[in-house]
Amino acid sequence: MIELLQHIVDGLSLGAIYALIALGYTMVYGVLKLINFAHGDVFMLGAMMGYYASAKWSGEAQNPSFWGAALVGILSMAICGVVGFIIERVAYRPLRNAPRINSLITAIGVSFLLEYGGQNLFGPTPNPFGILPRREALNLGGLSLGYVDVIVFVVSIALMLILQRIVFHTRIGTAMRAVSWNAQVASLMGINTDFIISFTFVLGSVLAAAAGLLYASKYPSVHPLMGLMPGLKAFVAAVLGGIGNVPGAMLGGLLLGLAEQLVAGYWSSSWRDAVAFAMLIIILLVKPSGILGRSDAEKV
Amino acid sequence: MQTIRALDLGFAATARRLMKSALPFLVPIPLLWLVQATLANAPGFEYAFQNVNHIGIAIILAVSLNLVNGLTGQFSIGHAGFMAVGGYVSAVMVMNGPTDDPYRLFFLMSIAAGAGAAALAGWLVGKPSLRLRGDYLAIVTLGFGEIIRVAIENTPAFGGAIGLSPIPHRSDFGAIYFAAIATILIVNRLRNSTHGRAFLAVREDEVAAEAMGVDTTGYKVRAFVISAAFAGVAGALSGAFEGNLAPQSFTFVRSFEIVAMVVLGGMGSISGSVIAAIVLTLLPEALRSLPPINLGAVQIDLVNLRMVFYSLALIGLMLSRPRGLFGSTEAWDLIGNWWRKRRGVKSEEARKAAPDAGELLLDVRGATIRFGGLTAVSDFNLQIHPRELVALIGPNGAGKTTVFNLLTGVYQATEGSIRVAGRDTHGLKPSSIASLGVARTFQNIRLFRELSAFDNVRIGCHHLARESMLAAVEESGLAGIEEGFIAERAEQLLDVMGLAARRDVLAKNLPYGEQRRLEIARALATNPKVLLLDEPAAGTNTKEKTELMELIRKLRDRFGVAIVLIEHDMKLVMGVSERILVLDHGVTIAQGLPRAIQKDRKVIEAYLGEKYAREHAADIEAENAEETAHESLSPTPSKGERDSSGDAR
Repeated sequence: MIELLQHIVDGLSLGAIYALIALGYTMVYGVLKLINFAHGDVFMLGAMMGYYASAKWSGEAQNPSFWGAALVGILSMAICGVVGFIIERVAYRPLRNAPRINSLITAIGVSFLLEYGGQNLFGPTPNPFGILPRREALNLGGLSLGYVDVIVFVVSIALMLILQRIVFHTRIGTAMRAVSWNAQVASLMGINTDFIISFTFVLGSVLAAAAGLLYASKYPSVHPLMGLMPGLKAFVAAVLGGIGNVPGAMLGGLLLGLAEQLVAGYWSSSWRDAVAFAMLIIILLVKPSGILGRSDAEKV
Repeated sequence: MQTIRALDLGFAATARRLMKSALPFLVPIPLLWLVQATLANAPGFEYAFQNVNHIGIAIILAVSLNLVNGLTGQFSIGHAGFMAVGGYVSAVMVMNGPTDDPYRLFFLMSIAAGAGAAALAGWLVGKPSLRLRGDYLAIVTLGFGEIIRVAIENTPAFGGAIGLSPIPHRSDFGAIYFAAIATILIVNRLRNSTHGRAFLAVREDEVAAEAMGVDTTGYKVRAFVISAAFAGVAGALSGAFEGNLAPQSFTFVRSFEIVAMVVLGGMGSISGSVIAAIVLTLLPEALRSLPPINLGAVQIDLVNLRMVFYSLALIGLMLSRPRGLFGSTEAWDLIGNWWRKRRGVKSEEARKAAPDAGELLLDVRGATIRFGGLTAVSDFNLQIHPRELVALIGPNGAGKTTVFNLLTGVYQATEGSIRVAGRDTHGLKPSSIASLGVARTFQNIRLFRELSAFDNVRIGCHHLARESMLAAVEESGLAGIEEGFIAERAEQLLDVMGLAARRDVLAKNLPYGEQRRLEIARALATNPKVLLLDEPAAGTNTKEKTELMELIRKLRDRFGVAIVLIEHDMKLVMGVSERILVLDHGVTIAQGLPRAIQKDRKVIEAYLGEKYAREHAADIEAENAEETAHESLSPTPSKGERDSSGDAR
């Protein structure tokens, strides 16, 4: 029983990180109908900037403190927000009316540029990562709850609540939803779609950076290709919940994290990576629009 | 109809045909053999031939991936995964097979097995993901490529992370280039067949492709499976050439290199892929020979920067030349066009035997469709006899196009039955319904924009062709005759629609009116029994409308088709149709002869409002009474109840 609970806790903690990344995929897909392949690499950049800020620039990593970590986090989130803005502005905006496949190729190009540019800039070898002070794990009657996991839960729940607030209860969130329904009509209603799309990218990139920092704290190492697998899995999570659907991405992320942890715990950890893709193929066969998504037929 | 050259099925003739089809594959063999025997093993040439052979393998990979990414417009980024499947299956066979392999027959079998395994993997991956849009395929193939690598690393039989070694060196320059040339020939022959046009149609517009009788999912899966099989061949050849296989050489970096070749060369251009394969294989070699850059503390080898180059090139190309360097043109076309004369356009009457007039072509009973709570069309009934001209009218949003979507299988009816020539179409795909003889045009024109007018019409002939993919590759007599027939038919149709001079113009470059006519020509090419025209006169001027009216009659008389027309222009509708059906809010409010419809009170209400109908009720009825008194015509009674005019009959 304790073992099962332990797996659930670990799964939810991993799932919360997937959910944060998946939110960026799903929001961008919502407004642009584009799978932003580079999203996983923004996630990597978030962790990498955290590493540079703490270990190289400030020396914070030698003597980690909670407030120092918060500062590092905000800095890396800000940098990634700017990077997200630049990616959209330079690579995606000129192709907004081009065939989808062209945007897709560009997205893949951007992704590889970040990965291999990263390999040349940061070096290909993994670096140790630690911006949070080390604390003993909490012991709740046999159930062990790591300090990092507590931070993961608190930060990701807080960020999701803020996002929920932004998307559903603010003017700019309403505009985002309008653009995702129909960008052309939204612009006729006086919404500056370019601004909304940029804003969506920045928001998604900030969340990805936060996820990158949490992920790197949980599995303490950073390297330029670290975004690939979590990025792909978060995409699966977004499809699972229904791509373009914000609550769906959260649900999908948590479900995927749980499923992975349970498979790793009760079966074999070498099949952990296969879970996401097996799930993807099953969703595609059974309900391509995802759990919370709606299917809309193309208008002829 | 032009006389068709008879197909001689005698033994000698068959042998001759097969020979002719195989000739291009056989011609290079002596040359390859000569080079292999003299240069390939000569001292001093080892490094050169290593590169040459790498180029050959890259050509197989790039040209085969082009079939999926270029011709069919899908996006796979896991080609290296299929290469690995083929390579490992073949290597395991060869390593456990006989040590002595005369004429390399066993190696040949192992290549076939590798190709088969890769094709099977392609089918497993493609079948679920290709039902959806291309983006999913990209993700699934990327994931698949990674999973395959992880699976190999964890399988002791495949050598785990260390890989397989030593694999007997059974492949050489000759074998690799024979395969490369065969790949180019096969993909090129496929492209020039009716199947190739089906691939292109899928790339251009899936909905229109289905309406023309192309089974889009089927074609995507076929392209994907064929492409995977070739990747398997490349893997087998590569393993037996290098003498070892390691999972590290099949990462997504490898896949990405192949994608870069296809995109840079031009999506859909085979020669572009070949040239890009050569350049991108030699590029890292060239970069390797350059000295590293010194950036103070860091030294950057230029070879390591090649992935950065590729990604920058990819982004830059998409922003400036989205179709790749060569676009979809071929090097040999550029040379060929230079001297080729245009053939004269032949035109001959293509009258078909009119179908039996008693047969019901289209029989719709009680068709209803609901979208959530909204009933878009309810209890729709329509019977169409051969050669009838029926118009479907109604205010905007009445559900007219929805009726067309029901008839063509784009939507499934929630209730009721739709029969085409006696066959229930429930559950059939649009492409199957098109083969039953229902063709359509679209309200918002859906031509294959990047293809020529001629190709657009030829795709319409798709389901008439019976040639198998194998026959297309073989370029045997039968496929040739069929191609000739299709070309002739397409040219006749272009001629009938007055587009003969526009044969080679890209559809997107035609003026609006001609695009509409091209859509009709394409629909007629499917050899329909019923032609559904969705607002053919939209956006045309008065003169063009009169011409269109003539044309519609002419089509009916000449091709013996029944025509159902959605149109808002009342002059056109009243002038051309023999029977009119009026829809309002999804309900059939009247049907009958044009004259009766013009005076139907419900129709007037629907178009001009209830108030107008009430105020002018006296006039209308007086007129109706007068008409019926004078004429002995008996209009088909409408479904909705009629007031006074009904009694008079």
